[in-house]
Amino acid sequence: MSFREKGAWISLLSMAGIYGVYFWSVIKAGPQAGGFHFGKLLGTIIVLVIVQVVLNVAVAIYAPSEAKAPPDERDKLIELRAMRVAYAGLATGIAFACFFGAFNPPIIFNTNSLLFILVTAEIMRCACQIIQYRRGA
Amino acid sequence: MGTIRNEIRRLRFEHGEMTQQQLAEKIRVTRQTVNAIEQGKYSPSLEAAFRIAAVFGEPLESVFHYSNEE
Repeated sequence: MSFREKGAWISLLSMAGIYGVYFWSVIKAGPQAGGFHFGKLLGTIIVLVIVQVVLNVAVAIYAPSEAKAPPDERDKLIELRAMRVAYAGLATGIAFACFFGAFNPPIIFNTNSLLFILVTAEIMRCACQIIQYRRGA
Repeated sequence: MGTIRNEIRRLRFEHGEMTQQQLAEKIRVTRQTVNAIEQGKYSPSLEAAFRIAAVFGEPLESVFHYSNEE
């Protein structure tokens, strides 16, 4: 498994796990919880950054030459394809959010649904990268 | 759509059993990319294809073959 594929796995699993906990807590609190869960979100982001930095450093220590090497042409192509898929997901999600936003849902729904769309698009990007690396290109 | 086949595996063997990693370092790509090219899963850029041919001292058409058949 290449260094960049490992990076995609780290991003995918850490985001799915950590944001999963965040969104689960938001759903459990319900729309009556009031306000945007800023403290909870800040904590989530800090944990995510720490987990990703630690895991990426660990992978880089294990394969330092791969970590130092710039992405090659195949890595760049895979990244571009994954970005295209993620953009389609992001645009679709935003269109849905705009539609449902017209029904005046609580602000907590709007902010968290936009965050959910962003996280989903990022997870799609990582998943698409992993699929392409697994297939060979 | 056509397919691109290549002779990289044979050429590596004929050049002192060069490893995929050694070839990868010479053409400045990852070992996984060399493996994907060798297996026909990834078609390299023209520049990378010329670099591979240059490593083996062969013309491009001796390393890569294009076929219109499915």
